[in-house]
Amino acid sequence: MRQYLLFFLLLGATITNAQKRFTLSGYISEKETGEKLFGVNVLASATLGTITNDYGFYSITLPAGLYKITINYLGFTDIEREINLDRNINLDFELEESLDQLKEVVISSNSTNKAVTSTEMSVSVLSAKTIKKLPMVLGEPDLLKSIQLLPGVSSVNEASSGFNVRGGSSDQNLILLDEATIYNASHLFGFFSVFNTSAVKDMKLYKGGIPSVYGGRLSSVLDIKQKEGNKKKFGGTLGLGLISSKALIEGPIFKGDNEEGKGSFMLAGRRSYIDVFSSLSEDFKNSTLFFYDLNLKANYKLNAKNNIFLSSYFGRDHFELDNLVGAIWGNASGTIRWTSILNDKLFLQTSAIFSNYDYTLDNLRSGSSFRWKSNITNYNFKPRLIWYLNSKNTIRTGVDYTYYNFKPGEIEELNGSGINPEKFEEKFGTEGAVYVDIKQELSEKLSLQYGVRLSNFSRRGKDMIPTYNTVSPLTYNTLQDIYVENEIIDVVSYGSGAKIKEYWGVEPRFSSRYLINDMNSVKFSYNRMYQYLHLISNTTSATPLDIWAPSGPFLKPQSVDQFAIGYFKNFNDNKYNFSVEAYHKNFNDVTDFIDGADLLFTENIETQIAQGKGRAYGLEFQLNKNSGKLTGWANYTLARSERKIMGINNNDYYPTNNDQLHEFNIVGLYKLNERWDFGANFVFGSGRPVTYPTGKYNQTGLVVTDYQNRNGDRLPAYHRLDISATLNPKVGKRGKWIFSVANVYNRQNAASIYFSEVSEVNDKQVATGRTQATKLSFFGIVPTLSYQFKF
Amino acid sequence: MKQILYILIAIGFYSCETDVTNDITLKGSTPRLVVNGGIERNTMTPLNEQKIELSTTVGFLEKKEPIPVTNASVIVNDGTDDFEFLHTANGVYVNDRIEAKLNTVYTINVQWNGETYTGKDFLSEVPDFDRVYAVFEEETLFTDQGYFLNFDSTDPANVDNYYYYRVFKNDEFTIVPDPGNNVTIIEKDQFFDGKSRVGINPNEEVSFEIGDKAGVQQLAISANYYNYLVELFTQTGSQGFSLIGNPPPASIRSNLININTPKNRVLGYFYAADVKEASLLISE
Repeated sequence: MRQYLLFFLLLGATITNAQKRFTLSGYISEKETGEKLFGVNVLASATLGTITNDYGFYSITLPAGLYKITINYLGFTDIEREINLDRNINLDFELEESLDQLKEVVISSNSTNKAVTSTEMSVSVLSAKTIKKLPMVLGEPDLLKSIQLLPGVSSVNEASSGFNVRGGSSDQNLILLDEATIYNASHLFGFFSVFNTSAVKDMKLYKGGIPSVYGGRLSSVLDIKQKEGNKKKFGGTLGLGLISSKALIEGPIFKGDNEEGKGSFMLAGRRSYIDVFSSLSEDFKNSTLFFYDLNLKANYKLNAKNNIFLSSYFGRDHFELDNLVGAIWGNASGTIRWTSILNDKLFLQTSAIFSNYDYTLDNLRSGSSFRWKSNITNYNFKPRLIWYLNSKNTIRTGVDYTYYNFKPGEIEELNGSGINPEKFEEKFGTEGAVYVDIKQELSEKLSLQYGVRLSNFSRRGKDMIPTYNTVSPLTYNTLQDIYVENEIIDVVSYGSGAKIKEYWGVEPRFSSRYLINDMNSVKFSYNRMYQYLHLISNTTSATPLDIWAPSGPFLKPQSVDQFAIGYFKNFNDNKYNFSVEAYHKNFNDVTDFIDGADLLFTENIETQIAQGKGRAYGLEFQLNKNSGKLTGWANYTLARSERKIMGINNNDYYPTNNDQLHEFNIVGLYKLNERWDFGANFVFGSGRPVTYPTGKYNQTGLVVTDYQNRNGDRLPAYHRLDISATLNPKVGKRGKWIFSVANVYNRQNAASIYFSEVSEVNDKQVATGRTQATKLSFFGIVPTLSYQFKF
Repeated sequence: MKQILYILIAIGFYSCETDVTNDITLKGSTPRLVVNGGIERNTMTPLNEQKIELSTTVGFLEKKEPIPVTNASVIVNDGTDDFEFLHTANGVYVNDRIEAKLNTVYTINVQWNGETYTGKDFLSEVPDFDRVYAVFEEETLFTDQGYFLNFDSTDPANVDNYYYYRVFKNDEFTIVPDPGNNVTIIEKDQFFDGKSRVGINPNEEVSFEIGDKAGVQQLAISANYYNYLVELFTQTGSQGFSLIGNPPPASIRSNLININTPKNRVLGYFYAADVKEASLLISE
């Protein structure tokens, strides 16, 4: 049935293609470095055009005739070229950076007018260039901190490794680094993100209207692309900061005497050196705390039509406290990609990806030392075909196949402690999807992008699956308002590759744009997404030690339906654009911990969590100023995010950890002259949910807290001002200084407020029986300085 | 282990804790009944009486102790006989006839304010220590300098054992709210079933000086009480930020239920435990 539907859609799209037409196609790259540019407008007339794809390729099919082709990309000088389209033409363009430095795009779309004309909505684009200009919070430009300045994007606190999009939880973001899934995007418990901004080219965030080419997570897609490397000459940058330093080298491969190499490479590395300072302190003499990462990318042009790419990331965090605890964790990923122009209308990209996240946790306490290891590995294969049918229709179709291997945990003896080794059952699964995505311009006013993704998740053996008494792992006891674990009465053994449980998902996607006129449009989108992996975080905010658990016999996949509607407007000759979007999301089978969940070394995770429904809705206002000496944006989000899960909060709706009613961000970048750039941002968020105690009592010599409603109270509001100044090098010089002050007025924002028994008197630890409330704030004013050198 | 926050200093900026006790107004709730106590079998220092304490909760930041409950009826059944516990003072109810026996289910029945609360626990045997001794340790990031109790012990093979350790300083039971309690003071033999272990510190927060009398008890507790204590020690050790194990705050469910009005829950635990103990004088 689905095949027929697809055929029908294709047929409908082809019928219009009857008269004599030719195709203009090619690549568009940056003149100085040879880096391919994506999202570049190729316009045959005011309303007829296309944009380059992720690999800088464009293709447009038009009736034979004489055209004035305009290539425009903000921040670059326009190219206009007369072309007599009397045959299929292959033409590459090189764009030069605009000398008028003031015409710089900062956010939201590649072209000023695209925000209005594009069919996409709920999408933000940030270039590495913009991210680097924003004030640094902790001495490093940080991609994940920067995207939190966008409407609808927030995080639970500064030390939370995740971010939350439109009320979704932090495991619902598909984070792709050159197409490879990154499972944990944080260093140092969430204070830094794993993305080295020197190695990043740009990123695109989808909050809604997510096209069918993406799947597997409910709330967002963060698509990050690394730099390809300079095709024309060798070079590099060196960045020295107070917390970390980084280096990048790039250059052509097989250049010979040509102007441009047959390929190029980029290699970047970064390491923090907090440990160098901390070892100076007597207390931390035997402690370890650092992270590093390496990014590599290389590409090679086999011939005019075929390119291969190699992209890889490796990052690690090391943490150890003498005789107490040690942990090492990190991501590794590798992507091999082949792109091929099959003909001037067909573009094929095929990627094979390996991705791994692992951690080890060492308990170093004498007498009971052990090592705990866990990891998740996947192999992903995703071919995609892009068919530039004609100037009005583009079809993307492909397959997305992933093989997963989860090793939830393994315990080893350490230092001859006599601990019994134990290994939790490995888990295996496959996730497959086929999709089609069609971009269709029905008329000058109305354009559509629609498609469907058919996904499948299959839990496979080898595995041992427990059979619980009364089938389900937990029974909710209404009398005690508590979940009771059911006894395991049998264990069923599945052989290697045997199917344990299978789920299917039909995921329709739709977005549409109606152009009121050149300057105003309205858009509507709908998407359904399925997510087959769940992040079982053992704390209220994500940490490196979280466990990814696959759906299976006791854990259903989560799903969401999102509707969004928006109004988009440009004014003052595209100098400003404004948008307002409203969204509503209905979640199914989202997970949360049951009261009293114990997640440390728990093999059968299904006994600690419950699934239920959720809802999130909100309104996002965004105003951008795109050009002039002062650029920037301001946005306001009014939102709500709630869950309703049996057994939690008396079975009523309760706010999620990331629920925030008001969020306001303002970002300003000011170019004083050729040498000085200034930046400032101010963020305000109303208080996040917190659970305050309702009573106290004594037990085993300690004061114990009693609670009633989950997340029933609110922390104080969060606000912060950051500023920065960049001193650019004089002509002919290469060094650049960046000064930054985060949290200028030293506000002690509450990361949490916790309630406890006073347990210290005159530096001695004692139980006092007295109670207190303590506010924990992560940082006050943080001045930082960094130096960058280009060679 | 309080110092876990100081790690953040090492990250190159600082975290800050502010006492906001006086800035916060809590909503509070109606008082709940709390049970604290149980049946202990101590073959080394036989107990003259068994004790159970009853009280009601007060607002968390109120500067007063939980209020003793003095007018309840408390009965414990050992499978054959009922034993009535009588109120002495400050909400403490005692009985001097009940005998703590191995492999016995003890059921408690409390009647108070027209409502009945009931719950039970199981008493199983605990092994003795192989050796108890003191070790001197230098000051570390998380512990003071001083003498610490250590013991060696052998876990009985092929049975699930759950342990709870009590440390006494000069005959006074000593415990400190600490994030490490949920892995130090209580243990299950999941990873050491049937093994002999050496150098176990029963409470890393309690240090001794020369001349102190140091005592330690090893208790066998039920799986249910162990799970209750995991929640209790996790909660009482919480410092607002945790790398491992910081589940959402929730009321810790008692093993007693209110059979008249289940929603009007009771708090605390009625336990049954077997005890082995040892003590020594700290010397050079």
